[in-house]
Amino acid sequence: MSRPLSSAIRVDGLTRRFGRRWALRGVDLEVASGETVALLGANGTGKTTLLRVLATLLRPTAGSVVVCGHEVTEEADDIRSRLVLMTPGGHVYDELTGLENLTFAARMLGTRSEREVLRERLEAVGLGSAADLVARSYSTGMRKRLELARLGLGQPDVVLLDEPFTSLDEEGVTLVQDTIGLWRARGATVLIASHRLSEAGRHADRSVRLEAGRIFEEAE
Amino acid sequence: MSDLRRRSTAILWKDLLTEVRTRQGFSAMLSFAALVLFLFSFAIGPNSALLSQLSGGLIWVAIIFTGTLSLGRAFQTEELAGGIRLLRAYPGDPRAIFLGKLGANLVLLAALQILLFPAAGILFQVDFVPHAPALAGIAVLGTVGFSVAGTFFSALTVHARARELLLPLLLFPALIPVVLGAVGGTEALLAGDPMSRLTGWVRLLAAYDVILFVVCLWIFPVVLEE
Repeated sequence: MSRPLSSAIRVDGLTRRFGRRWALRGVDLEVASGETVALLGANGTGKTTLLRVLATLLRPTAGSVVVCGHEVTEEADDIRSRLVLMTPGGHVYDELTGLENLTFAARMLGTRSEREVLRERLEAVGLGSAADLVARSYSTGMRKRLELARLGLGQPDVVLLDEPFTSLDEEGVTLVQDTIGLWRARGATVLIASHRLSEAGRHADRSVRLEAGRIFEEAE
Repeated sequence: MSDLRRRSTAILWKDLLTEVRTRQGFSAMLSFAALVLFLFSFAIGPNSALLSQLSGGLIWVAIIFTGTLSLGRAFQTEELAGGIRLLRAYPGDPRAIFLGKLGANLVLLAALQILLFPAAGILFQVDFVPHAPALAGIAVLGTVGFSVAGTFFSALTVHARARELLLPLLLFPALIPVVLGAVGGTEALLAGDPMSRLTGWVRLLAAYDVILFVVCLWIFPVVLEE
């Protein structure tokens, strides 16, 4: 697949340290606009840290990180309005129902928060019958589906998915893959961090492997 | 509706809904406050004149001890939902988080005081009714000061290991003017303000509230940065 010319993500010499432990050691990465990249690696290799820096949730210790043309430390808010992040546990409030969780997210984003619209979103991810149950009663897979519905509220240019296939059944994996396909069709840039190439690589234009905080290899 | 108002209202709605659903948070606060009042009452003994004289200070100490427990929970719900940074990841001014959390703390503390003042009145044999409007004014000013400082320091310590210890250590020194103003104002009011000191206490409280609010709101975004 031919790559679009402009880059949505540009990382130069990124390092990030937690106390005495180096999570990232001089990462260089460029992801073109509209490209889908699988970020592979075992636990503790720096995948989540890299995604959190890109999502402006962590400041780099050193190096330059530009997302959608904006520097992460200087123009974080410009990036936040164009990017979504899916974390392994999701951003789910246990005491709110699925519908209330989605209503809260819609209000925070300033998107349509009518109950009918949000119910449709929940139905689309297979949570229609669980919309009025508190999230505390949801399984891990259901929470992931709720997170997918939340991510679908906006029209992001960059989508960061951290272990999106973990704890999902076959139907759930298909749902995530279909959703990735929709984002790709819209021209969004997608970065999928996962342990396994088999699931993450299905839609990816290329894969990048992280080991001990460094880019170890890149493959088309 | 402005972006800041919409987002802070969303956080306020979410926090109050969570509190209503869990219930045990407010019930525990109320039980603890009642326990503190009882302990003071037993410690001082059956000296109704002394109890009445000290009632202003005792009530505010009970409010601050109880409120500190409640403040600790304000950002804990965020940690259970994946972390305060995920809330920060929504685009827009991060001060909406401060304002939303502050609003929720104010509502909870106001509800606590509505129940606590009559209970203290019965226990300490003090008739608050004739002073109710002025007392409500002092309570509002004291609660605003306490909630502003509490919300700020609660966010500051949310990732600290010994946060339960650190929060009161940081918060209580910042509350000295609030405690002085609220206790002094309440006592002056209940004593009939013989030395005309009530206005001074109210001015102190109001001025400190404004300064605290402006400073905390201004530097709050820095608190959320790692």
